[in-house]
Amino acid sequence: MPNLQLLNPQSHAGLRLRTTEEAASHFVQIVIAEFAAAAACCPILFSKEPATGAFYAGAVFGFKAGENLLGEVEERGGFKPLTLQREGFFLSDRHIAIDRDHARFSEHEGELLFDAAAAPGTALRAIQRVLGDLHSGLEQTKAFIAALANLKLIEPIDVSLHFDDGERITLQGLYTVSLDRLRELDDAAALGLFRAGHLQFAYTMTASIKQIGRLAHIRNRRKELHQPPQGLLG
Amino acid sequence: MWDGHEDVSQRQVDILFPLLSHRVMVQPVKNIVIVGGGTAGWLTAGVIAAKHRSRIGNGFSVTLVESPTTPIIGVGEGTWPTLRSTLARIGVSETEFFRQCDVAFKQGARFKGWTTGAADDFYYHPLMLPQSFGQVNLVPHWLAREDGRSFCDAVCAQGRICDDGLAPKTIATAEFEAVANYSYHLDAAKFAPFLQAHCCDKLKVRHVLADVRKVNLADNGDIRSLDTPQAGEIEGDLFVDCTGFKALLIGETLGVPFKDCSDVLFCDRALALQLPYPSEATPIACQTISTAQSAGWIWDIGLSTRRGIGHVYSSRHISDDDAERELRTYVGQAGKDLPVRKLAIRSGYRETFWKRNCVAVGLAAGFLEPLEASAIVLVELSAKLIAEQMPACREVMDLIAARFNATTHYRWGRIIDFLKLHYVLTKRKDSAFWKDNVLPETIPDRLKDLLLLWSHQSPWFHDEFDRVEEVFPAASYQYVLYGMGFRTQLEPSALAGDAKNAERAMRENVTQTERLRAGLPRHRDLIRKIIEHGMQAV
Repeated sequence: MPNLQLLNPQSHAGLRLRTTEEAASHFVQIVIAEFAAAAACCPILFSKEPATGAFYAGAVFGFKAGENLLGEVEERGGFKPLTLQREGFFLSDRHIAIDRDHARFSEHEGELLFDAAAAPGTALRAIQRVLGDLHSGLEQTKAFIAALANLKLIEPIDVSLHFDDGERITLQGLYTVSLDRLRELDDAAALGLFRAGHLQFAYTMTASIKQIGRLAHIRNRRKELHQPPQGLLG
Repeated sequence: MWDGHEDVSQRQVDILFPLLSHRVMVQPVKNIVIVGGGTAGWLTAGVIAAKHRSRIGNGFSVTLVESPTTPIIGVGEGTWPTLRSTLARIGVSETEFFRQCDVAFKQGARFKGWTTGAADDFYYHPLMLPQSFGQVNLVPHWLAREDGRSFCDAVCAQGRICDDGLAPKTIATAEFEAVANYSYHLDAAKFAPFLQAHCCDKLKVRHVLADVRKVNLADNGDIRSLDTPQAGEIEGDLFVDCTGFKALLIGETLGVPFKDCSDVLFCDRALALQLPYPSEATPIACQTISTAQSAGWIWDIGLSTRRGIGHVYSSRHISDDDAERELRTYVGQAGKDLPVRKLAIRSGYRETFWKRNCVAVGLAAGFLEPLEASAIVLVELSAKLIAEQMPACREVMDLIAARFNATTHYRWGRIIDFLKLHYVLTKRKDSAFWKDNVLPETIPDRLKDLLLLWSHQSPWFHDEFDRVEEVFPAASYQYVLYGMGFRTQLEPSALAGDAKNAERAMRENVTQTERLRAGLPRHRDLIRKIIEHGMQAV
């Protein structure tokens, strides 16, 4: 259970933000503004929120819960999803709330959230920007998904992976944009998608599917490295 | 060419054969007229219009004539899983269907008191097939175990899912897709207008509000047109009679007799009432509950907004007053002052369903007690058959009618057999109704033969169930037979060979049951989410 508190300079005057290790996630929600950066290093797919069944876009970091095949931010070409940047911080209406128990917060280590004048410090200002981007980004992404769903452009994708050591992984509950149906769109619908700025994101998603193979390759190689060489056992 | 535009070759023919008096005519079937605006009428209109979508507006039309004054009888609120594919084919949204027709999920039926009438007497007829049904018949293996587990629980998860009050899918499951097989409980009074809006807005069905005052026949005995005071004369090439019990076209006009089957199925009256839920948190049953009474049975159907409860009984075995008393006892204090609607029903069907250029669908075709929700499924099957076999011209219509009649007769016969099966397996002796139901002269011959056969081998993929016209699969017979304590003599050969497969299937069922019970949401919670968030199309 998160310990949620509304952030304010009185209660949180001495609170500091420290650098922690990124939470290991295999599927991270992203917004359309992040699509280009995400597609350069990983697949972008849709999944459904368990509570509402609504689609959301996510970047695939691994094939199993908690698996991150992409490594540190530097290895991802600097791509760090907004939802990971904002860890521990939430928007409640227009106010920032924090999960006081999150490991990012400390009384002793890291940068102070508020400066001496009780104004947000550099670190908090960065978080404000992240939360703002995320808030508007989620709305834009919702509109993008609604446009695709209206035109019946979303289709399920079955990913079945076979690894060199015999392991098989089947990913279910993932969806992508149907290129076939995109091609069959009539002129008005295609133009509408283009004018709304949605078309490029649809193509970015379909192109990013190529990254599945690359991720599988990384996973294969990792397994080889972690496996003891045959013959030395026993 | 049918649309009358001339081409050169036709003109040449006319010049070459100016005096030919005995030309063979071709009379195309282009205008379909459906009479009656209930569930049967609108479902049939939707199925035909969806199938012939590309022809509508190009010389083909579907018209539905509805009386502005005749009230609609809401036939049964239970359905079969076929309705999922029917609705998907028509093109409606399942989310909107839930929102507008007070729909709840149905995962089968729970029969209480049918075998012995004792307090703990119940069994399920679920909609899921037994585990690995295509590979192995689990009946002999279950019989050999005798471990006290009900047949349903030994072979499928659905009885447990229903016990737990869980839904058959999650909010992340796409429209019309299932985790556990399901159909619906729906408000028939809202279903017809829901289909109407879709048929008229999306499928270009012409809706005419008019009373049929007179049916005009052609010289050959076909129906030529309908006279209406509001819309004048309405002509058609094929007429679908969906006028309910009145059977205006097939019965009153064409004189096709009604074949009564009350000698097999005794119930001829029904009392119905609507019971509100005590609160918005009351669990909604995810199965039809059918509770045996002294001379009939009570249906209990949970919609999202209320329960529909009714008593179906035999007036030869109980008075109306006593029947109402039994219904009121079932409902209890909560329904003390609720009004009861009385319906006379007549079990049976038309000797011919499709005669000349008229085909009957719905109550005009026949009626059976709603024990296995067969009314709407029969409408769907008939509408599909008409749509798929739509005769190109009048000249081939009689051939198609003959096929339609053979198939539909077979279906009615099998449904009657299946309904009677619920009665003949009873061990109850506490009233004349139950005793009369097992008298040999009330049991159809085919059912008698099958019961004899089933005492030696269980129904599975044998030849009596391999017809595509089959309404109830062999699995349904298994659930009712072994749910009601029927026993098939075990031949050792029935067990040999696939014991390992059976063992594996039953183990898989245990795993699957636990997985589903852990993963499925509560029935009411899912309906609330569907109304609030909607389901995705994929």
